[in-house]
Amino acid sequence: MASVHDFDRRWIFLIMGLLVVGLVAAGISAPMPVSEYVDSYFATIDKLPEGSIVMVSADFDPASAAELLPMYTGTIHHLLAKKMRIVNVCTWPAAPPYTASRFAEIAPMYDAVYGEDWVELGFLPGDDVAMGTIGQSLRSAYPRETKNNMAYDDVPLLRDCGDSMGNIELLITMSAGYPGILEWIAQVGGRYEIELLAGTTAVQTPDLFAFYPSQLSGFLGAATGATQYLQLVDDVAIDGSVTADKETQQSRMLVQTWAHYFMILLIIVGNVIYFTGRKSS
Amino acid sequence: MFLALQDVASAPWFSLDLTGTPDISGAILYCFFTLAVFSFLYKDNPFYKLAEHVFVGLGTAYFTLQYYDEGILQPVYEYLFGEGGVIEKMETSGIVEIGGYSVDPVMALVFRGIAGLLAVMLVMRLFAPNSWMPRLPLAVMVGVYAALKMTGETQSKLVLFVGNMFKDPITNSNLLSWSELTAQPSWRIENWEAFFVFSKIVFFVGLLSALTHFIFTYRRTKVLAGISKVGVITLMITFGAMFGFTVLGRIALLIERVDEMKSYTASAYSLGPAPAAGQDPGVLSLMLTPPILISVIIIAVLALGIGIKKDGRANA
Repeated sequence: MASVHDFDRRWIFLIMGLLVVGLVAAGISAPMPVSEYVDSYFATIDKLPEGSIVMVSADFDPASAAELLPMYTGTIHHLLAKKMRIVNVCTWPAAPPYTASRFAEIAPMYDAVYGEDWVELGFLPGDDVAMGTIGQSLRSAYPRETKNNMAYDDVPLLRDCGDSMGNIELLITMSAGYPGILEWIAQVGGRYEIELLAGTTAVQTPDLFAFYPSQLSGFLGAATGATQYLQLVDDVAIDGSVTADKETQQSRMLVQTWAHYFMILLIIVGNVIYFTGRKSS
Repeated sequence: MFLALQDVASAPWFSLDLTGTPDISGAILYCFFTLAVFSFLYKDNPFYKLAEHVFVGLGTAYFTLQYYDEGILQPVYEYLFGEGGVIEKMETSGIVEIGGYSVDPVMALVFRGIAGLLAVMLVMRLFAPNSWMPRLPLAVMVGVYAALKMTGETQSKLVLFVGNMFKDPITNSNLLSWSELTAQPSWRIENWEAFFVFSKIVFFVGLLSALTHFIFTYRRTKVLAGISKVGVITLMITFGAMFGFTVLGRIALLIERVDEMKSYTASAYSLGPAPAAGQDPGVLSLMLTPPILISVIIIAVLALGIGIKKDGRANA
């Protein structure tokens, strides 16, 4: 038994690494069943009338981009495919480079015009105080847009948006933690009765079940939610532009499943060793 | 072949185009820093230390610039002296908006001046930590934050939250009887009315028993201990679910890193000689791609380090 307790845990890291590398290299993918939460997320966007103004908040950084960027990409495709108008904000300082690159790639596919169909307002410091300010007065929070430094009232989309949240039909956040969806619910959702959607990291997902469906119309939980959502978006996005992302996600989920099997096996083995050791001592 | 070679026609050595093909220098940095951080799983080493220091340095530089731009340049300089700023509005007798309210530019200047003064007073903490000056803005911040949190949190996480959790099941229009549910081509158990009621009971019992577990002011009678045990089981299931989600997230990050590195095993990223048109790039080309080359270098250097250490010990 002593040899089991002296087992070097680095072997576990190595086996997990080799398992993941091997399965990624194999590149097998399989479709996933879509959950109710993802279905609601998709349906909430899909039911909005053409031309609706939607605020998208990128509240993430590189540490969570693996989970949230696919959701963000899918959401932008979905919104532009349905001819929605997007007001993009960020409450995390590392998010703007991601949003800029996504829009630079996706907007031309749908002939979306900057300032009319989408606008980037950039990062606003202040966490939930910033969210409260956005809810109270978008013009005060962002006197200028960030891409061309145009004044708020010189941007047609922002003019249509007005100053309050009243003209914004939906608020979507890609939330990696604090500040994120829980702060949007408190500062904007509860105060201005605006419909909310969220894409979240796996760590934050358990917190959201209690808010669905009353305060949160739908959410994408972790890489699983992202994969399911991209499967749905693939049907509405232009010319299979999401297909590659969808297949990548599906392939990653298969690797994830096997990595989980390995983890479960480790937990069972660990427990067996623990209880056997306790019994003998 | 271990890793599939992909067909990317060519990759530039250096490019700032966000939408174009990722460049080779970026691929080298990506693979090096990823593998350098992973090398910590073996043990602390100079590669990891380098990655850690570069990360902290770059992160600090990036965040400093972001906060300077959005926290000082825009709200102070641009707000006052920029195009359409407060000073210009004072000259043209315009109106400034603060928090959705139109105010005179002089008032806007006064408000921003007070905010600036409070910010300067806060910085005084660096020079006179025990003086009254930094305490005043700190008190204002705590007060404003508490008020903001209290109103928003009370509304969303207490009033609406509790109200919605205890909603009458009849008001949920998605609920169906078993026969109605199974008659549908695709159905979910959550839409079965009996399951809905059952889940509400589980929630109610779980909530009360978990709260009971934290009652310490009464003697632990058999009844209280029994309810408390149910509470502990509820809490353990909750922690288990949270742990499961955390594992999901961490493994997703690992998979994303490996998958991204796989994309740099394409022949376009190989540092070896380019193959002739239509010719198979071969194993050498694959071995000279950033992920494999850097892995080999890091492993070789670490192994060499261990060898030198062992020799040193043997000689001693």
